[in-house]
Amino acid sequence: MIPFTRHLKLSVGALCGLALCANGAQAPQHINIKQLSTTVEDVVVPLPNEIFGALNKLGTVNWKEHVRSDKGPNFTERPRIALLLGTLIADGFIAVQAEDTAAVKDIGQRVLTLAKGIGVGNSITPHAKAIIDAADKRKWENVRQELDRTQNSVQQAMNEVHDEKLSQLVSLGGWLRGTEVLTSVVKEHFSIDGAELLHQPDLLSYFQTRLQAMPEFNLPIIRQIQDALVEVKPLIDVGDRRIPAESVKKVNEITTRLGHGIVTRD
Amino acid sequence: MNGFAKVLLRTSSLLLALMALRPAIFASVDDAQSFALQAAEPYVKQGFQVREDYWGGDLGSGEKKAVRQQLFKGNEYWFWLGTEVDRAKVSVHVYDSDGKLAEESDGWEKGHFAGAHVIPKATGSYFIIVSVEESPEERTHWALVYGFR
Repeated sequence: MIPFTRHLKLSVGALCGLALCANGAQAPQHINIKQLSTTVEDVVVPLPNEIFGALNKLGTVNWKEHVRSDKGPNFTERPRIALLLGTLIADGFIAVQAEDTAAVKDIGQRVLTLAKGIGVGNSITPHAKAIIDAADKRKWENVRQELDRTQNSVQQAMNEVHDEKLSQLVSLGGWLRGTEVLTSVVKEHFSIDGAELLHQPDLLSYFQTRLQAMPEFNLPIIRQIQDALVEVKPLIDVGDRRIPAESVKKVNEITTRLGHGIVTRD
Repeated sequence: MNGFAKVLLRTSSLLLALMALRPAIFASVDDAQSFALQAAEPYVKQGFQVREDYWGGDLGSGEKKAVRQQLFKGNEYWFWLGTEVDRAKVSVHVYDSDGKLAEESDGWEKGHFAGAHVIPKATGSYFIIVSVEESPEERTHWALVYGFR
């Protein structure tokens, strides 16, 4: 063997060794999911802008037509405020997509008012200010980050005082508004890939389980959401089959109805 | 030695002892999160939005935990795992709902950091498997953060 070839082989060997160190042991190609059942954490609820980001990649979306500017009533029931807070944060992400400065600033102010109404205003004040400031400067990435921080701070503050159920309602409010807009966009310009974004059966089951554990929140809107999720489940839990346009339309009708219920006094 | 000096000496000794025990007593999932975010930092420049929320806990050597997550086709995701125990080795891998490995080949493990890259082929539930492969500690804090673009 000539020295150069030997040197080359040694170098390649060393490089492969380093690569293996960096990449670690090979992960198995298949695992038995059922065996994990005892160690699985709760499903992670995605932020509305994760869905909006995926929607954007399917084609141009006219986000301006989904921006909401109505102020909405003042609620006193904490579960209603929590639902509305989640919806409003989702509206914030929509206003960012639409690059609507006035709407973002208005939403930042309303989030703060609602957070105060639910007793977590202190943790939200800096975020609300940052949202308004970033919107003024049209720094949309910063607004997105602050909206995420707002939701996280609201939920952490709720969890700290053992209001985990309210925290789950914030997530639910955001998911419902996100699904309403998702179905509205896909309904207008139907595509199989767009409809597939609705394939979220585990998330829906997660919300159903959480709502069942909230008998103390005996409000019409909570019962309406529970009933609606039962209607939605077979439409999106389709396994490997495609979600048809009719199902998208139906889910849109249901979530629009719920969205109206969340922002309207009973 | 006067009384004040005695108190000062005792207090200092106590503080030193506490500092020596710090990793065991004060280390937390929050520390692990700082390391997970450190792993995520270079990806922010590539346009990944890192979620504020994170998932964490503690595991013994060789133990695994699964986090179920909804992923959307069209998005690209990175998951970053970190621990404050610098001599620990951790790993993170992503499987689809059928238990099939769903990650790209550029995932990495570097001691107490690990990353997994996913470009979902379908919208649905995925399982993020975090594992403490080796650790000098009996229990090792871990934190998982993720980003998407």
